[in-house]
Amino acid sequence: MSLMTMIIKMSEGLGKTCAIFFLTLLFSLPLGMIVALLRMSRVRIVSAITRAVITVLRGTPLMLQLLAVTYGPYYLFGATVARNKLIPVVIAFSINYAAYFAEIYRGGIESIPIGQYEAAEVLGYTKLLTFLRIILPQVIKRIMPSVTNEVVTLVKDTSMAFTVSYQEMFTIGKQIANSQTSFLPFIVAGVFYYLFNVIVDYVMGRIEKRLDYYK
Amino acid sequence: MAEEKTSTPGPSILGIRSLRKSFGELAVLTDISLSVDRGNVVSIIGPSGSGKSTLLRCASFLERADGGDILYDGQYALRDGVYAPKTELNRFRTKFGLVFQNFQLFPHYSVMRNICEAPILHGTDREEARERALTLMRKMGLEGKENAYPYQLSGGQQQRVAIARALAMKPEILYFDEPTSALDPELTGEVLKVIRQLAEEKMTMVVVTHEMPFAKAVSNHVIFMAGGVIVEQGDPLAVFEDPKEERTKQFLRVFER
Ligand SMILES: Nc1ncnc2c1ncn2[C@@H]1O[C@H](COP(=O)(O)OP(=O)(O)O)[C@@H](O)[C@H]1O
Ligand SMILES: [Mg+2]
Repeated sequence: MSLMTMIIKMSEGLGKTCAIFFLTLLFSLPLGMIVALLRMSRVRIVSAITRAVITVLRGTPLMLQLLAVTYGPYYLFGATVARNKLIPVVIAFSINYAAYFAEIYRGGIESIPIGQYEAAEVLGYTKLLTFLRIILPQVIKRIMPSVTNEVVTLVKDTSMAFTVSYQEMFTIGKQIANSQTSFLPFIVAGVFYYLFNVIVDYVMGRIEKRLDYYK
Repeated sequence: MAEEKTSTPGPSILGIRSLRKSFGELAVLTDISLSVDRGNVVSIIGPSGSGKSTLLRCASFLERADGGDILYDGQYALRDGVYAPKTELNRFRTKFGLVFQNFQLFPHYSVMRNICEAPILHGTDREEARERALTLMRKMGLEGKENAYPYQLSGGQQQRVAIARALAMKPEILYFDEPTSALDPELTGEVLKVIRQLAEEKMTMVVVTHEMPFAKAVSNHVIFMAGGVIVEQGDPLAVFEDPKEERTKQFLRVFER
């Protein structure tokens, strides 16, 4: 098989790689905020449970979580394994990344001085408006570098979908590598991920620039 | 100054009676009573840790008092340690403004938005709010700064924005918690000047301060607090020139040279 054929075959999986990437961000970014708020809940039991869940999600391999979400229902309830693996893959990724984002959000929220809440309260802002208009924008600016880190990691992590044979770019590459007994597909995959992350870096850099209008 | 004060009929704008507040075991306010009449400027002085900030924070509902009364316009916000319902408190909240020691401007907002967002949220027409903000900025010596961000301003300018932001809500009484303590010495003057100007316009104010000459010159009434109680209060001349209590004398001696 020529290098060109490999590249073409593998890029057919790029759509699915992108699907994992964008859908995971779409769900995990807001879900992470909900988890962060639960984690900071003043109701002890709520924050304790959330904390435990976060610890498990961050303390066990994403690969295991992928397997659990994809095949768990089959082993537990004899449910049929979803034909479209995108759904379990995105669920597993979203939950896992939400746990990481939650801790980033929490760090950001806790770094905002209490005086900002108090100033807003005295001026008659409601709790919700205080959060949305005063706190959140400042949090977003502060956490951008950490979020960028996670997004870059996510690009590379999409390759983990091969464990459940979801036909994204890396899975296809691995199959070619096996059938052709060639290392070349892995190099192609590496280049793809690298280029993907060049774009991610550029985009995130632009967003950070836009938030640079204040200190 | 005292003779000039025009006493308006009706109850004081702020009344505090037997206010108590503890943080755990630490009794910070033990039995505070005071009242502030319209058009008056009350200065609160006292050593650090005496509960001055806590008093202002209780008056502005940032801290929950344990007992006593807080009245605005003769109406109970706190009665014998029990707070009025939330909607009532929100109504009282429109009556006062608070200027913090370290400004607490919103760093991601321009000066204009810092000043006019809250009034707009409270239903003031957008254009009207902007107009009023511009007027206030002129008064605070902040012309041309409407599009600046707080980080681009000096501490003195930031504090004047904070004062404008508080005034934009048209409070009936304005609280200052050491408004110049976070400023470089050369910048305190410009902030004290605008507060003095507000005093001349008969803005009702309570000012916690360590600026004794300012307190003496601008206020109608001085309160000396120590250890969570009001040790002495009265006419500024009386308190500063002829203090009755030993603790007051001791405290004021530190400021003499
Ligand atoms: N949130 C708090 N928790 C515990 N102690 C506090 C808190 N706020 C203030 N205090 C304590 O209450 C006392 C009075 O503080 P404060 O009102 O800030 O005094 P002042 O403004 O006169 O310097 C101090 O001993 C301070 O340490
Ligand atoms: Mg203080």
